[in-house]
Amino acid sequence: MKNTASQAISAAGLALALGAALAISSAPLTAHAADNEKCFGVAMKGKNDCAAGPGTTCAGTSKVDYQGNAWKFVPQGTCAQTASPTSPSGFGQLEAFKEVKKS
Amino acid sequence: MMIALPVHDANSAPASRPRLPERAGIGLRSQHYQQVLDANPAVGFFEVHAENYLVAGGPFHHYLGLIRERYPLSIHGVGLSIGAQQPLDTEHLQRLAVLLERYQPQAFSEHLAWSSHGELFLNDLLPLAYDSATLERVCEHVDQVQTRLQRQMLLENPATYLEFTGSTMDEAAFIGEVVRRTGCGLLLDVNNAYVSSVNQHWDAQAYLHALPLAAVGEIHLAGFAEDRDAAGARLLIDNHGAPVDEAVWRLYAEVLQLIGATPTLLERDNHIPPLDLLVQEAQRAQRLLDASRPARQQASA
Amino acid sequence: MNSQEDFVAALLDPQRDCPPQLKAWNGSDPAARFAVYRNNVLSSLVDALAVSFPVVQQLVGEEFFRAMAAVHVRQSPPRSRILADYGAGFPGFVEGFPPAASLPYLADVARLEWLRIRAYHAADAAPLASDALAAALVAPETLGALLFQLHPALGLLDSAFAVVSLWAAHQGALAIAGVDPYQAQCALVLRNGLEVEVLGIRPGDARFIQALQQGLTLGRATQQASALDAGFELGACLAHLLRAGAITHLAYDSERPLP
Repeated sequence: MKNTASQAISAAGLALALGAALAISSAPLTAHAADNEKCFGVAMKGKNDCAAGPGTTCAGTSKVDYQGNAWKFVPQGTCAQTASPTSPSGFGQLEAFKEVKKS
Repeated sequence: MMIALPVHDANSAPASRPRLPERAGIGLRSQHYQQVLDANPAVGFFEVHAENYLVAGGPFHHYLGLIRERYPLSIHGVGLSIGAQQPLDTEHLQRLAVLLERYQPQAFSEHLAWSSHGELFLNDLLPLAYDSATLERVCEHVDQVQTRLQRQMLLENPATYLEFTGSTMDEAAFIGEVVRRTGCGLLLDVNNAYVSSVNQHWDAQAYLHALPLAAVGEIHLAGFAEDRDAAGARLLIDNHGAPVDEAVWRLYAEVLQLIGATPTLLERDNHIPPLDLLVQEAQRAQRLLDASRPARQQASA
Repeated sequence: MNSQEDFVAALLDPQRDCPPQLKAWNGSDPAARFAVYRNNVLSSLVDALAVSFPVVQQLVGEEFFRAMAAVHVRQSPPRSRILADYGAGFPGFVEGFPPAASLPYLADVARLEWLRIRAYHAADAAPLASDALAAALVAPETLGALLFQLHPALGLLDSAFAVVSLWAAHQGALAIAGVDPYQAQCALVLRNGLEVEVLGIRPGDARFIQALQQGLTLGRATQQASALDAGFELGACLAHLLRAGAITHLAYDSERPLP
């Protein structure tokens, strides 16, 4: 095995890190931390249905398609609200955002 | 072409055949999983679309497994494309067999329609010309399904928006012939019967009477939306997005008069309301079931 | 002769005439009735994409999204009857879709949403037994040759854009006004029990996990992660994976000499 970088990661270092991982992962999350990490996502839905769509007059017969200049839509959603490239993202690393099912 | 199946073997005991209870059930939606487990709503069974559960693992299987422990189950396929002008997808049939083995549903049903062509899946229940070539093909496919799954399947009458100039028999006679030749059961969708009758200008009662009613193993009820065709005539759209129409409730009551209490599903695929409202709609069907005479002993002879 | 072929071609192409041999009871133009089927096919598949890519839809707005999704549906209809599988090609399509070029991060947001769908439906796998790692610690000299098998739901996205922040802002977790989309982020998607989680991770974490996915040993993976990212903390990274049940099996690499 080659030396240099590989030498830097010693068996002792690995053992220390694994020991720490075991200790951290088996400690209970505080209620505060658990709350902070959770937020509500959209519940996944089954997509195979046997129902018909909204009628005759919608998308199916529309001739709107992407053919160069025929396209008439511009993005008009939340993308307009994002910050300029220079501002800080304001988002820390290793925060979890979980999907939580709504019942 | 006829293949003798255990399910319509005269020697098999009817009691051993899995059957849905003669009660009202509702479709199981993922948004209601936890609430169903918490509240145990008083419904006779749940129905799921097979293709939604042809995934490897995760919450869908977790919840369906728990709910199956408490309720009878109907598995309703929406992707087998029984009417397609091409062989059945045997891999898909195999996946269905595994799913049925896992959940042991009391009923399995599919549609008199097609939805695949070549490699493509169109995700809609497309209409068929009712002629002898289609009849042969549909019967062959139904035989193949029943043989592979080792059980009777129920075939659902479709909601249609147009007809084919080449049709040589009417829909009820076509369905009657499929039932007679294959021994499959009928999933009678009363909303579809009404929607198609309005859309094709049939007499809904005459249509129902012409169906092989002795073979009905399950009933579907659903809501429709209303549109107009090019001449301004009523065109009903089977959108499963509204409460059951009063006209459909009346037809349903007539069907129960004819065949007695039959497992009945309230279908809702769009604009899913809170679970309580679905259960309430099922309770209306349940009251009609309670008032009707007991079920026939046997679905088909 | 196959009449369903004509039917399908006309379903997917609004420029084509309604197929022949169709009729209505009142002699009205069957094209208006055929339009119901056309509409069902397209709108139900656009709906399926909208369910799978809700943040993409919010970013561009419903009108743009549905028009864009309709182009994709007509170009690439499903080849699976299981609609949970439909959408794998959508991020790549978005990336090459000229009207969306003003939002270069959109395709990666779609990739992140697709990883969530995959994670949700991935096979179940039991997490590593709690004492397995402790048992491995008994022989520290062998740790470098440890192999980790990761949960099938686990997915990684190394993006030039702030995909995690963009996604989180649409879950109400932070204000979108504070998100600069042009900051590179790495995302880890996993299923913890029944919940799909999206985590922002360090580049070193991403390299480490990717190396494990590729079947590299703990020693090699740690080496690569540290070389890429001086701040890589093996303990913290492993703790996250363990806590999320993302490690399912341990083995030793028998083909390489132990360090």
